[in-house]
Amino acid sequence: MSTTVTSSHNEEMIYLTPTPVRIWHWLNALGIVTLSITGIQIRFPEYVNLFGSYKAAISLHNTAGITVSISYFLWLFYYLFITGTLVKLYVPNLDDIKRGIIRQALFYFFHFFRGGPNPHHSMPDDKFNPMQKFAYLMIMLILLPLVILTGVLLMNVAPLRELLMMLGGIKLMVSAHFLIACCFTAFLFVHVYLATMGHTPLAHFKPMWTGWEKLEGNSHGH
Amino acid sequence: MSIRRALTGILLVTLTWATAAIASPNEACQKCHGDKAIISKGGGHLYIDPGKFAGTSHEMIGCPSCHDAITAQHPHDGIRPPRAKCRECHADIQKEYSQSLHGGNANCSDCHNPHMARRQSAVSGDYINAQCNKCHDKAKTVATHGKWLPQAALHVDAMPCITCHTGSKNYTIIMYIETREPGNKRGDFHEATFAELMKVSGGKEPARLIDMNGDNQISLDELRRFNTSSKYEGMRLWGMMMPEQVTHTYQILDNRWDCTFCHVSGPRAAQSSYVAFPGKDGRYSRLPVEKGAVLDLLFGTPDFYMMGNTRSTALNIVGALILVGGMMFPIAHGSLRFLTRKNRKEH
Repeated sequence: MSTTVTSSHNEEMIYLTPTPVRIWHWLNALGIVTLSITGIQIRFPEYVNLFGSYKAAISLHNTAGITVSISYFLWLFYYLFITGTLVKLYVPNLDDIKRGIIRQALFYFFHFFRGGPNPHHSMPDDKFNPMQKFAYLMIMLILLPLVILTGVLLMNVAPLRELLMMLGGIKLMVSAHFLIACCFTAFLFVHVYLATMGHTPLAHFKPMWTGWEKLEGNSHGH
Repeated sequence: MSIRRALTGILLVTLTWATAAIASPNEACQKCHGDKAIISKGGGHLYIDPGKFAGTSHEMIGCPSCHDAITAQHPHDGIRPPRAKCRECHADIQKEYSQSLHGGNANCSDCHNPHMARRQSAVSGDYINAQCNKCHDKAKTVATHGKWLPQAALHVDAMPCITCHTGSKNYTIIMYIETREPGNKRGDFHEATFAELMKVSGGKEPARLIDMNGDNQISLDELRRFNTSSKYEGMRLWGMMMPEQVTHTYQILDNRWDCTFCHVSGPRAAQSSYVAFPGKDGRYSRLPVEKGAVLDLLFGTPDFYMMGNTRSTALNIVGALILVGGMMFPIAHGSLRFLTRKNRKEH
């Protein structure tokens, strides 16, 4: 499949997000929102009861957790072995570290308000700006594996008790799981907001659904 | 004066006689039944462990109170003494029990050893479950409960069966010291015995392992010191939900089915807790723990956590700050974005 086409309005379109990645993204989104909401009921059951019973919240939380975990490993497999672009797309290069991140931060916090252009233009082999790379690297390769690991341990306390104790006890695992979950929820607010920063508020939502994005005006990556 | 002396003398004689009258039948019985040699003569059920029998309420009322059909010629009278009848003293319990689902399946002595009768607070949760496991195979119990109960093995380990199969409306958090098999750093945990704890404490009362200042109360600081000390590596505090009242109804209250009984009562229900220590005679005694200690973030009870209940307020605040941080970015950036929208139109 060609990665660029010209639309009827003479706009160049670019195929930015392949189907497996889009399926993964929305499955993950649904899973993480479900996990966050059920997680609130599990932690604060005397105040929140959205799912009828405590057991229902736990069952849904576990199902969503397993789904997100499997989907994560499929994502990892896809980027590591099918496309082989994990490092290229997600790991910041030297220029990103030296200049790119400051340049991108200056855009978000200063130049954007003055109407300046986004210094980064998304391409299939360079989809993310330096700030995105840092954020996604942290989320996909550190926080998500950690929340999956702690989640698996907490779902299997009796059989994995020894491992739990080796890692500092159930309280430490619960605390880590909760704090990482808070980070994910906080990220969700920022992520959705930044997704509205395309040339129109929905410009970045469409390609995550269809895969195609306008090349011109593709000025505000999120 | 002489009358007073005479009265005192009569009183002393009466008391001595009364004491002797109570103590001597037990002593006479224990002469044979407290000696392990009787096992080879007539079976294990004839041996009454003096250490376990001593101090029980059944010892205080004396053997003949229950075994009233024993003749003066026993055991040479050729009569097989009938079994003691628990209902003579425990009629209300017997009535409650006989009406329960359990009533037709086991006798009192199938679960309770009358020669080591102990209050519920003097036995551990594991001991109670061991009585149930005599008939109810643990693996089968876990499998049956696993059909509807998440983490069934954990639940079966963390509470006596009677916490749910009971009429008790509430529970108490009791922690027990567990230790690994000697010499096996990765061995299974078991409830530490008096002898094992005495060895670790260097001959001091086991309670002093945690109640370091000996004030008969356990502070959060003492719990943290116990849990972080390398001296006690291989030991842990294992929390169990013990029923507050003991009933023999064996019904399952509705709130046990949907997890609300334990998990939806919030941190207020986890304010009180105790650590139970075994005594020389195997009886447990409890020391109260500082209020809210099980809610401590990490080291108060690192291996005890009950979802929905033992959450840390400090952690909640940190979590809330992270969420507020996440929300503040769109609010602040979005506000500036709205105010500067003309700049982007111009470009």
